[in-house]
Amino acid sequence: MEAEDLYIKPGNHERGWNDPPQFSYGLQTAAQGGPKRAPLNKRVPPPQLTGSLCPVSRATPMIPFSPPSNPLAPPPCSMNTPLQSCLVAAPPISGMMMAMPPPPCPVVEQTHSASGQSESEPDVDDVVALLNWALAACRHTVKKQVCDDVAKRLKLFEDMWKSGKLSLPVRRRMNGLVQELKSRNWDAADEIHRALIVDHVNEVSQWMVGVKRLIAETRNLNPDLLHTPEADPIIDNRSTADSE
Amino acid sequence: MATYQEFIQQNEDRDGVRFSWNLWPSSRLEATRLVVPVSCLFTPLKERPDLPPVQYEPVLCSRANCKAVLNPLCQVDFRAKIWACNFCFQRNPFPPSYAGISDVNQPAELMPQFSTIEYIVQRGPPTPLIFLYVVDTCLEEEDLQALRESLQMSLSLLPPNALVGLITFGRMVQVHELSCEGIAKSYVFRGTKELSAKQIQEMLGLMKPAASGPQGRPVAPQDPSATCRFLQPVHKVDMNLTDLLGELQRDPWPVPQGKRPLRSTGIAMSIAVGLLEGTYPNTGARVMLFTGGPPTQGPGMVVGDELKTPIRSWHDITKDNARHLKKATKYYEALASRAAVNGHSIDIYACALDQTGLLEMKCLSNLTGGHISMGDSFNTSLFKQTFQRVFSKDYNGDFRMAFGGTLEVKTSRELKVSGAIGPCVSLNAKGPCVSENVSHSFPVTFFVHNAPIPQGGRGAIQFVTQYQHSNTQKRIRVTTIARNWADAQSQIQHIESSFDQEASAVIMARLGVFRAESEDGPDVLRWLDRQLIRLCQKFGQFNKDDPTSFKLSESLSLYPQFMFHLRRSPFLQVFNNSPDECSYYRHHFVRQDLTQSLIMIQPILYSYSFHGPPEPVLLDSGSILPDRILLMDTFFQLVIYHGETIAQWRKAGYQEQPEYENFKHLLVAPLDDAQEILQNRFPMPRYIDTEHGGSQARFLLSKVNPSQTHNNLYAWGQETGAPILTDDVSLQVFMDHLKKLAVSSAA
Repeated sequence: MEAEDLYIKPGNHERGWNDPPQFSYGLQTAAQGGPKRAPLNKRVPPPQLTGSLCPVSRATPMIPFSPPSNPLAPPPCSMNTPLQSCLVAAPPISGMMMAMPPPPCPVVEQTHSASGQSESEPDVDDVVALLNWALAACRHTVKKQVCDDVAKRLKLFEDMWKSGKLSLPVRRRMNGLVQELKSRNWDAADEIHRALIVDHVNEVSQWMVGVKRLIAETRNLNPDLLHTPEADPIIDNRSTADSE
Repeated sequence: MATYQEFIQQNEDRDGVRFSWNLWPSSRLEATRLVVPVSCLFTPLKERPDLPPVQYEPVLCSRANCKAVLNPLCQVDFRAKIWACNFCFQRNPFPPSYAGISDVNQPAELMPQFSTIEYIVQRGPPTPLIFLYVVDTCLEEEDLQALRESLQMSLSLLPPNALVGLITFGRMVQVHELSCEGIAKSYVFRGTKELSAKQIQEMLGLMKPAASGPQGRPVAPQDPSATCRFLQPVHKVDMNLTDLLGELQRDPWPVPQGKRPLRSTGIAMSIAVGLLEGTYPNTGARVMLFTGGPPTQGPGMVVGDELKTPIRSWHDITKDNARHLKKATKYYEALASRAAVNGHSIDIYACALDQTGLLEMKCLSNLTGGHISMGDSFNTSLFKQTFQRVFSKDYNGDFRMAFGGTLEVKTSRELKVSGAIGPCVSLNAKGPCVSENVSHSFPVTFFVHNAPIPQGGRGAIQFVTQYQHSNTQKRIRVTTIARNWADAQSQIQHIESSFDQEASAVIMARLGVFRAESEDGPDVLRWLDRQLIRLCQKFGQFNKDDPTSFKLSESLSLYPQFMFHLRRSPFLQVFNNSPDECSYYRHHFVRQDLTQSLIMIQPILYSYSFHGPPEPVLLDSGSILPDRILLMDTFFQLVIYHGETIAQWRKAGYQEQPEYENFKHLLVAPLDDAQEILQNRFPMPRYIDTEHGGSQARFLLSKVNPSQTHNNLYAWGQETGAPILTDDVSLQVFMDHLKKLAVSSAA
């Protein structure tokens, strides 16, 4: 999973007050398996029972308070006051983008940078070809109706891509998915499909279930039926035949 | 006491048990004098990644009315291959498969480190998990779209061979057939007509159910996929169901001006429960109700359809002005009991700006071990992520769900179980036996003394939990623990140092909540106060009639503060919370483990500043300082509060400048800690980022002890801290009164 797939979006503050931020699927699953930081569960006993008189914490302020009007004294400079590290914590999992977007500006889920994206822009035809290769292999054993249903959804996927309705992360991750399919990494492909449907349900909900079924059926096939994609000449004909 | 803290923690980590007292007084009278009863919080299925289950059946005591499981407390004669039950002292021979055991070759269940052990027992064919979605279609289009998408997404999170079903409702109730081909069909029921389970099953054309097996044994229907067209394996119907969900329309019946939509939740739930009862009794199943408003017609209605009649408030309830309350509650309780007995749990996902009837419907989840999630809209992160987390997986890749649990508690002769509180129903079996759907902390279980207690020696308790794991295996988890008896006269100091104030606070709180459900609010507070005063009288060190001399030992030092915050909590204070909100908070309170429950009673407050590493601070107005960021965790909300100066610095943008990078780190530090909680907690909490003078700061201000108010602002002498505008009693005043009452010889 790429670093761009581990992100946090703000919650929907128009529909829900104090809606919590939304974590991507990648971040959620990483958190569940990962090491836990020291839990925040300590308390301080009240002074009346321990003998001290002052109810506030021991720390005394070192910075003189400035009145809440001009001039505002700036915070301590980095050079002068070394900040002690936060609660002892496991280091962030590599590749994870921890920064929360500064409230309250609305955050787009991806920064659209023109540079560096063109070489990672996947080719729709390659992706569709691989999907159709898998579908073709399934046609031998899987019921026709199921295959037609899958084909219909793959077509929808293709159309949505070609008409620019799919965002870059979806296109990129679908490319990753079909690569995993090609390498017979069924679990990895399945996981990508799950991440996509959790993170981008509004884009993918109509056709992703077809991809899900495709993965499920393909992994159960007799390996002999899965010729390498390049070797199978039927692919091109079928993909044109399907595009009515 | 350092050693007792470690002992308590080790026991919780290993066995999921926290006792109020870890040394038990040897007479019944003395036990009552301890004020806090001898009781425990038990988490039946505490996650134990280090505990591999064993693949054989447990060895049971042969005495008919005992049947305790072999455990490390039993005496064993390895040569004669005989073991003595530590509960009834019956001598039992080992089964033949244990012929090879010896002193140096012991089975796991005899070893002390396996005081908690899990057995996998497979009886009959494995049965798949079942998920039945019950969906309200009287939603705004935006909400319905969000819900459609969440449900479609969930199909990818379900295990492929799980069975799934769909019931939609509005004015009518529709049960959808999930066939793989052709036209979608559904059976439509009137939302007003109450039907018996049998009638429902007949009208749906279900086969006669096979004779139910005894509790806990699954009955596989004759031909699962043919038997029930309404519950089909996900891997077969996912595409059709995705389309079906995508085409779900709003309830077509027009809603006139000034009226609520007609919502037949009662009948919908009745059909759901009846459908599962008739097809898959005694098998793990989950009914998930998604509703966007209160039931407004048919049995179980909570409010009429006239908008000018508001849904009941606490005021209405105390004035006995809630027309539908008793009837509706009774209706849902009956449904819940039926579901619980069959091992089916019911979740409620209620998303609306107004109340949805959780007060009446809560038993559906409370009695069956299901979840309640309360949000403002289905199109919020709170709902979406909470719902996703229902399907979260553990370290083994299995769902964190369990079904059809029964918990049996055995005790040595001197003890008796006097009750349990929590998400369960009693099975009224001979031994104390309750049914629940596990995966939460099981609540309070009480033990009273029964027979005279031998000198020295230990009392023992065994918890046997049978359940269906989410990977469909049947499992039995056995936890056996013992504690020493102590003579209260001569060893009161030791008993006192064995006091677990955290566990006791939660136990007393749950008792209080239990009482609050049936008694008046003020009575419960008086009861709680009386118990606290008695405890202080018993264990405080003081000179009579001299409040200033009062002291509590360390093992009790946090307890009065817990009680103070408990009195102010939404569990016992209904002010400012609707009946539905109270139901929601109480629902989660009685099922979380100790640490989380304690957070709900007394929120955690951590302070972030330039003065040092983040540290816990008193939950007090004096902790609110201009140059600090506070992180408050109430379990239901995470509040990050920026002090006045911090807020001004932030506004001025210092964090953007490279030479003030440490300020940037300071701003981010509480966010990182909050993120950890946000990513793991179920249900997802609300997230509030606020600052001095912000409107949302009220969440912090209402929770902290108001040691500084507008009343004592000038008398206090403290220059720091933010005064709270309240007439609430502060902890200082509370403690003063407590000390006065505890030391008084007139009490």
